[in-house]
Amino acid sequence: MSLFKSFRDGIGFDTLLIGFALLYLLAFAGLPLIYNVIISFQQVDVFSLGTLFHPAAGWDNYLSIFRDPLANMVFWNTIVFTVGSVAFQFTIGFAFALFFHQKFPGATWFRGLFLAAWVMPGLVVGVLWNWLLSGDFGVINHVLLTTGLITEPIFWRSDIDVALYSVILANIWYGMPFNMILLSVGLAAIPDDLYEAAELDGATAWQKFWTITLPMMRATIGAVLALGTIFTLQQFDLFAAITSGGPAGSSTVAQYWSWQLSFREFDFGRGAVISVMMIIVVLAVSLVYVRSTRAETRL
Amino acid sequence: MKRTFTALAFSALLTSTAMAQDVTLTLWTESATGAEATFAGEFSEMDNGITIEVREIRFDDIVTETLRAFATRTNPDIISIDNPDHAAFAARGAFLDLTDLAAGSDQIDMDNYFPGPRSSFTWDGGVYGIPRASNTIALYYNKDLFEAAGLDPDSPPTTWDELYEAASALTDPDNDVYGIAFSAKASEEGTFQFLPWLQMTGGSFEQVNGDGAADALAFWKTLLDEGLTSPDTLTRGQWDSTGTFNGGNAAMVISGPWELNRMASDAQFEWGVTLLPVREEGGPRASALGDFNLAIFDNTEHPEEAFSFLEYFDSQMDRLWPEFTRMPPRPDVSLAPTGDARIDEAAGVFTEQLQYAANRGPHPEWPRISRAIQDAIQSSLTGQKEPQEALDDAQAVIDGILN
Repeated sequence: MSLFKSFRDGIGFDTLLIGFALLYLLAFAGLPLIYNVIISFQQVDVFSLGTLFHPAAGWDNYLSIFRDPLANMVFWNTIVFTVGSVAFQFTIGFAFALFFHQKFPGATWFRGLFLAAWVMPGLVVGVLWNWLLSGDFGVINHVLLTTGLITEPIFWRSDIDVALYSVILANIWYGMPFNMILLSVGLAAIPDDLYEAAELDGATAWQKFWTITLPMMRATIGAVLALGTIFTLQQFDLFAAITSGGPAGSSTVAQYWSWQLSFREFDFGRGAVISVMMIIVVLAVSLVYVRSTRAETRL
Repeated sequence: MKRTFTALAFSALLTSTAMAQDVTLTLWTESATGAEATFAGEFSEMDNGITIEVREIRFDDIVTETLRAFATRTNPDIISIDNPDHAAFAARGAFLDLTDLAAGSDQIDMDNYFPGPRSSFTWDGGVYGIPRASNTIALYYNKDLFEAAGLDPDSPPTTWDELYEAASALTDPDNDVYGIAFSAKASEEGTFQFLPWLQMTGGSFEQVNGDGAADALAFWKTLLDEGLTSPDTLTRGQWDSTGTFNGGNAAMVISGPWELNRMASDAQFEWGVTLLPVREEGGPRASALGDFNLAIFDNTEHPEEAFSFLEYFDSQMDRLWPEFTRMPPRPDVSLAPTGDARIDEAAGVFTEQLQYAANRGPHPEWPRISRAIQDAIQSSLTGQKEPQEALDDAQAVIDGILN
């Protein structure tokens, strides 16, 4: 009887809730993750993909990834892409959030409109930027040429020194509104009386930002940066639509390489190696995220 | 009221019984308006109890999507697949061996097809499909721009040197005109476009770093470095490259007969087609054999019905050229006049060019071979490697796959 009661209201009920969540996670996130780790140690091609057992490959997949001439470049590209995207998405997003926090007529409306970019499917955004960035007939080149900022067209998609930055540019545009909205929510949560008190003490705008806004936003900023990093590491559509990782692999990042290995060359073992390494990075970033949300609840 | 309802219910019951006897097949193809989709529509209209559902998948994704589906056994019954990709499926037993069905068929005779396409779907003594069509690439040129540049529109370039000179003369940056367009994209299209140049130097996909092979790559690089072709050649496929030709922004383009219908309606100028220029006068001609095959998956529940669609397709091959500007893969089917003199003239050029067309493979590891060639093209055209070095690296990869 007491057991039944505990299921209705008490420790049994709590366990039940946790149990469901755990079961779900295990089935839909845990198993695929573990399976991914397993096939990174196996030889898997598409025709054996459906079978349960594959020939073991030991560390061969890992070694061949590290020895691949592309590896170094992909590694650096991934860092540049992630850091570049997140840094600019965040700073521009923060600037816009502060801007719309000034209560001028229509501020909330305009802020909402910014989300239009973020709700578009990545592939659509990619195709759009593909046109904008086109070398011979692109809008961006046209604007830059007619305003005299450049004298020769820039081949955004086909120049090995530029291609990666073209995708970063598109990704900043794509991800910035999401940063802005989350940061706006954080800004709105800061009590106004803190600023009023500071004003009475004669604080400048910069002092208010530095000593009130930033510390009060710490949890939000941690969450935004962590989510931004994870989303950036997931970004695939823009590469597929704009550069296809080229030319000569110069805009290939880890997630795109993993897909290329798995679904273009059908070497699922080596494709899994890269996703395993990415999972480790994402796990580390997730820890930051979890810690920052924990700080949030404490506030 | 009640009677109507009963009647309705009864007729619904009837249809559902009838449907249970009907067979529905799925066909995946790169184009919902292409020959196989059109013929599938007609075939479904016939009173044969077979309905074919067509699903269109982008050219770049068709193999990926199909492999994913095959791994989970949700693949279609019939697929239209690019011929170099055929062997990978056939060698792993994914496709149905049609030998027995063809032996009992009044329509399909495997010996009827050109040897090139036939070898692309033959594996280890079995025949795993029929050719959808054949194609290859040749040189299209804008006669109006030739005249404007002081070139003779009736004698297009026949050698690499002449091609280079023509491209130089035709390039006109002030009017946004490049001399030539082609595709060096890091995909099967880049391989398809490069192999003919390699073969004209005596190379093949098995031997990519022999004497002269680097010259072929260096020739492409010259076109890029001197601005005779758009830098976007590195990232643009054949269809988009030809789009710039149709728009008057490239004076020549290397592409296949599948462009003819679009060109005939889009291009606002006089154009012609000629054979791919050779390395030196009298040098060997070459081109790559393209186009798709139709195959039936081994796990289909309705092999006979699927095969009867292949029979229907084969019976309609005389329509491939006039309606779709696809070249019939059978020597006994001639290219019927289309009523457009330019297309009919092109028919002769492509028919001759096709004689020199070499297969890609067949090899089950073709995607990796092709990837090695693409890497060589891209790394040398972007200046990261010398052509010879790039091709040596590709050869090392290819040797590892072939041996």
